[in-house]
Amino acid sequence: MNLELQKGSRSKILAAVIFGLMTIFVVRLFYLQIIQHDYYVGLANKEQIKRLTIPAKRGVIYMLDGQTPVPLVMNQTVYTVFADPQTVNDDNKIISTIQQIAGGNARGGLQALLDKKDSRYQIIATKVTRTQADKIKAEKLKGIGFQQESQRVYTEGTMAAQTLGFVDFGGIGRYGVEAKFNERLTGVDGMLQSVTDVSDVPLTIGNNNINKPADDGDNIVLSIDRNIQSHTEQALVDGLKRTGATRGSAILMDPQTGRVLAMANLPTYNPAKFNEVTEIADFNNNVVSAPYEPGSDMKTLTMATGIDKGVVSADATYVNTDQIEVGDRVISNASRGQTGTITFQHAMNWSLNTGFVTVAERLGDGSSITLEARNTMYDYFYNKFHLGQLTGIEVANEATGTIISPTSADGNAVQYATMAFGQGLDVTMVQVASAFNSIVNGGKYYKPTIIAGVIDKNGKYIADTTPEPTISVAESTANQVRQMTQIARNTNFAGVDKPGYYIGGKTGTSQVAKNGTYADDETVATYLGFGGSEETTRYVIMVQVSGDHKEFAGNYDAMPIFTDISNWMLNYLEIQPKG
Amino acid sequence: MSYQRTQNYNNRRQKNWSRNQNTVAYTSAIKLGPVAHTVLVALMITVLGLIYLTQATRATSYDYATQKIDSQIAELNTQKNDLQIENARLTALETVKSSSVASAMTTPATTDYIQQ
Repeated sequence: MNLELQKGSRSKILAAVIFGLMTIFVVRLFYLQIIQHDYYVGLANKEQIKRLTIPAKRGVIYMLDGQTPVPLVMNQTVYTVFADPQTVNDDNKIISTIQQIAGGNARGGLQALLDKKDSRYQIIATKVTRTQADKIKAEKLKGIGFQQESQRVYTEGTMAAQTLGFVDFGGIGRYGVEAKFNERLTGVDGMLQSVTDVSDVPLTIGNNNINKPADDGDNIVLSIDRNIQSHTEQALVDGLKRTGATRGSAILMDPQTGRVLAMANLPTYNPAKFNEVTEIADFNNNVVSAPYEPGSDMKTLTMATGIDKGVVSADATYVNTDQIEVGDRVISNASRGQTGTITFQHAMNWSLNTGFVTVAERLGDGSSITLEARNTMYDYFYNKFHLGQLTGIEVANEATGTIISPTSADGNAVQYATMAFGQGLDVTMVQVASAFNSIVNGGKYYKPTIIAGVIDKNGKYIADTTPEPTISVAESTANQVRQMTQIARNTNFAGVDKPGYYIGGKTGTSQVAKNGTYADDETVATYLGFGGSEETTRYVIMVQVSGDHKEFAGNYDAMPIFTDISNWMLNYLEIQPKG
Repeated sequence: MSYQRTQNYNNRRQKNWSRNQNTVAYTSAIKLGPVAHTVLVALMITVLGLIYLTQATRATSYDYATQKIDSQIAELNTQKNDLQIENARLTALETVKSSSVASAMTTPATTDYIQQ
């Protein structure tokens, strides 16, 4: 009986002990798995789940070759080669291999880099191509690693550099189209969240996997034709060499759509080597970013204003005395001797300032530039020709320029008298060229654009449609001014154009304001013209040359560059001559 | 075997069994106790666990295969991109202008147009 009691007692004690232990286990497990559930799940996820970024590809920029888009700015995968000095075991082989394969991309002083035994990361070559990287990998060098990155490739070198801009080392677009469309070109990175193994290979196990593909940047097609751009740049280079100018810009547009066909600036640079540029001004696209006083090019727009308001015509006359008084100032002609009663066509041919001050006066009471005349000029210049304001062209850093309002303190008669012949106002070349488009296309103002369309995800070119224009002047006005500029060109520069075509243009030579006064040793030369057949104008070209402390004239320095481009364009566009 | 006719004849349909119906029930001579049952259940659970593990491992092996194919796709895309860049460079105007073919070209003395 005692034995049974003792046996029973031990069993009960054992059962109690086991029960107690089990209770502890259960309580502990309850604590770990239920109460501390989120905490340990978090720890596990931290170890097991990796979140990887799927980088979006930056959009490719295309140019046109005729009607066909061709890639101009692309992306290339390159590698940075690095060494772990604590792991490498054959310095000589590494150095000879890297120097032999990476060539100029290898860093100098490789031995010194490999000798830094307290470091575990030393870059020994940069921007190594995939082929080069494969060759280095094949050597199976111990302690050598590769980092993949993407860089922009400019297939045409320096072509249209200021229009394109560049992408800095942080992957951000600077200047030009790269900056203007940085967001569109960049796209949106994707994300891959997954349980991974020790090699970071994503596994399908787990419930929190996320696979969000990257949204690559847009592929943009510029309206610039690379053949026209190339010839324009070459003509500008030749022109600057001939004239001794240090700066030059040119824009070539299709007046029937407002599309820019070429936009060139000198000096230029290679966007792939932007970090080697020493003069920051070389990054600027002066066609859109550098307002200047346009000089006599403006006379075409003043004339259009006068004709459109019905106060003058090409055949109307005025008495030219080579000078005219406005307020307390006397304004003189640069070309003297064409005195007497002359037509406004004659004034256009000889670019006589007095003729266009007279147009401004006739917009008023006929003898002075009244507030009404100034209001009219402002309305045409600012509201109809869109001068002194952003055009909205799709490149970064566009400048507005200035058209002084007649209601401001400086908007007096003298100011507007000088504005009539292109001084006293600041405009950009793209503003003037766009306004002139509306003169040679029958009075339709098209917003200038450099975008022709996009390449969609399937590689198909989708062209943008031409937006509706606004009306700047009546068609009859536009045609009359177009004819006046054609006569002006043929009067002064007969024989320079290919025969059988309808070519016109206007010279411009303007003073440069520095520190509030006009410099007496520096002028900017421009030429603004058009070409095509009598029925249809196919292109507008504006050229500008300048240089510090140098004087240039529109007829001698800018006009020949226009002629070079214009004659080439007639062939390129396969326009058939008449006669 | 012979049949004994009873005095009261009963039609077969009146009986509680009919054609094609088992009339004999067999009882297995093997008897499973609670231990055997427990072992069998444990075995079944083990087999099911093994099936689960093999399937889970197979899914993971597909992940590695997928990863390998993805790497190949990425590599081929890089190669394709490099070739596109090379093509663009070879057809770039700068390259064409400096080619031997371009340098051998001459400017035509005159140009004639087809009259439309």
